[in-house]
Amino acid sequence: MTEENTENDIPPSTRKLDIDGEAEIHIDGLDLWYGTKQALYDVSLPIAKNCVTSLIGPSGCGKSTLLRTINRMNDLIPICRYEGEIVQGETEITAKDADLVSIRKNIGMVFQRPNPFPKSIYDNVAYGVKLHHKPSREQLDSIVEKSLKRAAIWSEVSDRLHDLGTSLSGGQQQRLCIARSIAIEPDVILMDEPCSALDPIATAAIEELILELKKDFTVVIVTHSMSQAARVSDYTGFMYLGRMVEFNKTEKIFSDPDQELTKRYITGRFG
Amino acid sequence: MKEIDKLPVRNRKGREFIEKVGSGGLALTSIIGLVFLLILVYQIAKPTIIDGEEGEIVAATEFLPISDYILKWDNPSVDEDGNLISEPIILQLAWDDENGSYEHEIEITVIPQRNVKENIQLNENGVDTNEVTVGKKTKFYIYSTLSTPVSVHQISGPTPAANETGYPQVNTFVIQSDVSTVFSNGISIEEAIAVMSWSFLMVMILVYVFPNEKIIQSISSTSKNHQIIRWLSLAPFLFFILNEITVIRFFIVLNCFIGLRMLANLSEGIFRLSNQMMPLNDKILLKHSIVNRDGLMLWARLFFLVSTFFIPLSVHIPFLTERYQDIFQPYSSGIRSAFYGTFWVMGIAMFMAIPISIGAAIYLEEYAKPTRLTKLIQALITNLAGVPSIVFGLFGLAIFVREGGFGLGFGPSIFAAGLTMGVMAMPIIVLAAQEALRSVPRSIRESAYGIGCTRWQVTKDHVLPSAMPGMMTGTILAMSRIVGEAAPLLVVGAFGAVLFDPEPFAALTDGNINFTVIPIQIYAWTAEPGHEWHAMAAAASIALIAVMISMNSIAIILREYYRRRLNS
Ligand SMILES: Nc1ncnc2c1ncn2[C@@H]1O[C@H](COP(=O)(O)OP(=O)(O)OP(=O)(O)O)[C@@H](O)[C@H]1O
Ligand SMILES: [Mg+2]
Repeated sequence: MTEENTENDIPPSTRKLDIDGEAEIHIDGLDLWYGTKQALYDVSLPIAKNCVTSLIGPSGCGKSTLLRTINRMNDLIPICRYEGEIVQGETEITAKDADLVSIRKNIGMVFQRPNPFPKSIYDNVAYGVKLHHKPSREQLDSIVEKSLKRAAIWSEVSDRLHDLGTSLSGGQQQRLCIARSIAIEPDVILMDEPCSALDPIATAAIEELILELKKDFTVVIVTHSMSQAARVSDYTGFMYLGRMVEFNKTEKIFSDPDQELTKRYITGRFG
Repeated sequence: MKEIDKLPVRNRKGREFIEKVGSGGLALTSIIGLVFLLILVYQIAKPTIIDGEEGEIVAATEFLPISDYILKWDNPSVDEDGNLISEPIILQLAWDDENGSYEHEIEITVIPQRNVKENIQLNENGVDTNEVTVGKKTKFYIYSTLSTPVSVHQISGPTPAANETGYPQVNTFVIQSDVSTVFSNGISIEEAIAVMSWSFLMVMILVYVFPNEKIIQSISSTSKNHQIIRWLSLAPFLFFILNEITVIRFFIVLNCFIGLRMLANLSEGIFRLSNQMMPLNDKILLKHSIVNRDGLMLWARLFFLVSTFFIPLSVHIPFLTERYQDIFQPYSSGIRSAFYGTFWVMGIAMFMAIPISIGAAIYLEEYAKPTRLTKLIQALITNLAGVPSIVFGLFGLAIFVREGGFGLGFGPSIFAAGLTMGVMAMPIIVLAAQEALRSVPRSIRESAYGIGCTRWQVTKDHVLPSAMPGMMTGTILAMSRIVGEAAPLLVVGAFGAVLFDPEPFAALTDGNINFTVIPIQIYAWTAEPGHEWHAMAAAASIALIAVMISMNSIAIILREYYRRRLNS
């Protein structure tokens, strides 16, 4: 490998995609374009059930793009077009006539910047539940409480549930967003750099939370922090210029990667 | 089985239906806007380009009816010496009231000097004269204080524009008598009640904003009865059962209703606080204990502001309460009919423009795919916002005033004027609303889609509330821009001298369609020779500015309300 990467030097997307348990979602041969610019090249990836899968790679390599394709958030971008297949169990997520509402209900998302609704803390969590179900007042109360507890924020907000969600601190807002996602009990939670706007203490709280969540949910997390990926995830995918260069168990990736490129990236000797 | 799946599931059929209907409806509003545009272009092009020589453009004045209550002979049938050369001019006035039907004939003598005139007074006792002398080319008036319509026929003499029978029938006219009573026994206490309801609302607003301890204490003694006050607040509506609804009565009743509601919710709050042994002097605590405080304040402020304009009508400030009298009585004239004209024109304009424009903005911003067609519509709207107002006047003339072609034939009426002004405001509102929608952060949309909202739910629950302050401001600014427009209404056919309160829907009910608005009134008065009229025009300008300021205040009140709802 030379220092300047030409097209030819980029390793193609890997097909070495072994996981131990059952896969919640299969991504198969995904190509994606923004207008004429291709952002993903033939990406395949299994997402292991009840595990944390982390996606790492340099900025602009397509991690967010891949993540947003899984719950079809990219449909909101008019110039975005893709080929390939994503399946979750029986449902084909990438189908033309797929039911976006139930896909997004089953695959929740937490964004890079905390984005609670400009509603009260209570309503932030309750809104999604009321969207899909008809709970009684008591049921709703208990779901809100349970979700906030699971998101490790209950003790901080229990006495001000009717304050505006946006009045919380950044870290609290992010945990509120997580509570909002888990309130509707999705199968999968996608997290796009959930800690990038947070201080170390809030980050630690969220990491702990992720480890807690993995008991009930499947988590996919995009992160720029190698140490975070190493701490929280079971599987790691390394992406580079739109290719899934390497995918493996996290310990394997961080101790003995197959690819030279991966090694250089995780040791910080890159670019 | 997940916990959440045990809950009953919301039916999605309705949701999907709404989604379809919603986007269909929004697309429709967008298309309506486009159709307006195409018609405009066609209507302008047709007589000159498409029809070529054969086409004729009918001037607006040709089909303006001669004013219903002014009889005008431009060429009196007199010779140079002033001798009558045709049969005498005789008008027949006829009306019915409780006491029977009446008929009077009036002979009119036309003399060569100009500006000589006698006006005819009409009241329950009949007319005050059977013969009047009127100068050549001079207007004279028939005033009526009857509350029943009077029909006027010319039964002899030359006619200004005869129909086939030679005897044009001048339209029926009526001037409502100026007696305002609350109960049919004639006790006139409406003015007092109007002022009282207005003051009551003002006091309630002040109490809400500055909760004075003494007042709170005094309310707290009766606060057990908050439920009674709540029921009592419906009582003003009984008033409508007893009386016919007029603008002033409408405001009396709603002012009282909102004021009592505020009092009831305040008492309830105080009641709850004192039950929990909380101190009453904590203002923040008090504010939070009032149910729906923001909503009540919104309505109270709006009604207070708007009814402020109608209070002078009931306390009789001549400049505001009188109509245009005649050319020789400037200081007893007022802007009443112009004010009502403005009020109705704006009302109709808003009623038509706001739903269409906001629908179009939502569709273009949230639903439409960026195809060539939407780009074209976008470009058209942007350009249309800059089109001079006189062009919109011509558009209104072609579509709303004239009959035939695409013309809807409402005549030079308030209805046509309101629709014209609405069309003029539409592009401005669309652009403002689009701007407001665009400024809603993407993160709000993403978070809503992320938990499985449909497009319509995202729009309705998240985007619209966030965009609402901006939309409101844009809308009201558009409205306060068009409230001062005179040019399009000159084309549509507003009059300078209107002696009646306008009837907003006269065009649909065959009533008296004449109307004026404040800017036209100012224009007409500046054109009069006497300097008194110029002073009146200046005063009317101040009144116009007051209307604009109050509209902007409404914008501010609404914006603050929505801001608070988002941020508090
Ligand atoms: N809305 C968009 N329109 C056009 N191109 C886009 C859009 N979003 C992303 N891209 C392009 O797609 C490529 C991948 O972007 P993506 O956001 O997925 O990168 P990323 O790996 O998440 O980077 P980061 O770590 O900085 O978040 C980039 O080259 C970017 O320029
Ligand atoms: Mg990203």
